[in-house]
Amino acid sequence: MLAMAFGLLTSTAALAQEVTTIKFDQLQELRQSPHDTLYVVNFWATWCKPCIKEMPYFEAAHAKYKDQPVRVILVSMDAVQDKEKRVMPFVQKRKLQSRLYLLDEPDGNTWIDRIEPKWSGAIPATMFFNNKRGQYEFIEREISEQELQELINKYKP
Amino acid sequence: MKNNRIPLLYMACLLLVGVLMAAIPASNNSGYQVGDTARDFKLKNVDGKMVSMSDYKDAKGFIVTFTCNTCPYSVAYEDRIIDLHNKYAPKGYPVIAINPNDVQLSPKDSYKHMQVRAKEKSFPFPYVYDETQEITKAYGATRTPHLYVVQKQKDGTFKVAYIGTIDDNSREPNKVQKKYAEAALDELVAGKAVSQPNTKAIGCTIKWRQA
Repeated sequence: MLAMAFGLLTSTAALAQEVTTIKFDQLQELRQSPHDTLYVVNFWATWCKPCIKEMPYFEAAHAKYKDQPVRVILVSMDAVQDKEKRVMPFVQKRKLQSRLYLLDEPDGNTWIDRIEPKWSGAIPATMFFNNKRGQYEFIEREISEQELQELINKYKP
Repeated sequence: MKNNRIPLLYMACLLLVGVLMAAIPASNNSGYQVGDTARDFKLKNVDGKMVSMSDYKDAKGFIVTFTCNTCPYSVAYEDRIIDLHNKYAPKGYPVIAINPNDVQLSPKDSYKHMQVRAKEKSFPFPYVYDETQEITKAYGATRTPHLYVVQKQKDGTFKVAYIGTIDDNSREPNKVQKKYAEAALDELVAGKAVSQPNTKAIGCTIKWRQA
């Protein structure tokens, strides 16, 4: 009985996050979030190899800083049609714990410049911001674990 | 004495990090902007022959398309790149497809794999390999697919007229509403200025050769 309860508890703890489908306005809202919190927003997709390679670093950062004002958010660029068949199985298999969004905006030309004019559209790409402190950094390439750690240390309140 | 060594080691580490950071390639502000003169190239096609823009005596320009075998976006656009070529080559703007990916990082983008893919899809245009990534860096391509429409000038140089994406929906060709590249090409063919010369899309990062 105890073992069963324990099993239930651990399996609940290991459940992956839900993936919330969002539109550009919600992404913009996140980008403009006024809190004294470091947001680390990573743009990825299930089909993007370098994104998948760097994903464990973001997951580790999420676990490490979850009791601090640091929010790690993974925004999938997969098509919304692929959410059930590709994104959800991927997320569940890896038991992703970071906050997960899927941006349902097929036409990148309508929104990429509005979130970051310097972004060419290649993924992986990651933004770091704390709007309360006017801090912002954008990286359009794969990031190393050490680099991620350094940037979080640099900006975390 | 021992205490003095630690800051020194620390400094050495910082210096090393600095050197490594400087070695990271391709800032997205480098490369061509619309209006710039694009350089010609001499790259090996899947049929073994070298291809340059200057080989095409009658072309009015080119749809220089950075694309690859492995990126799902590129694959999703293969048929549309073929359609672009079939529609605009007769109007003077053929496609030249360039694979920019480093074979070490992306083995399925090897020359052999390119040959296989070109045959499977019967590409009606050259599919050339930028093995050194020199052309990709010169153009400033960052993702696949990434299009540069260039227009031949009277002096034989090539001016960049459009940089961007093919259309507004990679995943579902039947839901496309805005054909960005075609709109630009139609204007060029009609002798007009391109009204939307820059567009963006999500795509796979180019696999840059490790220094």
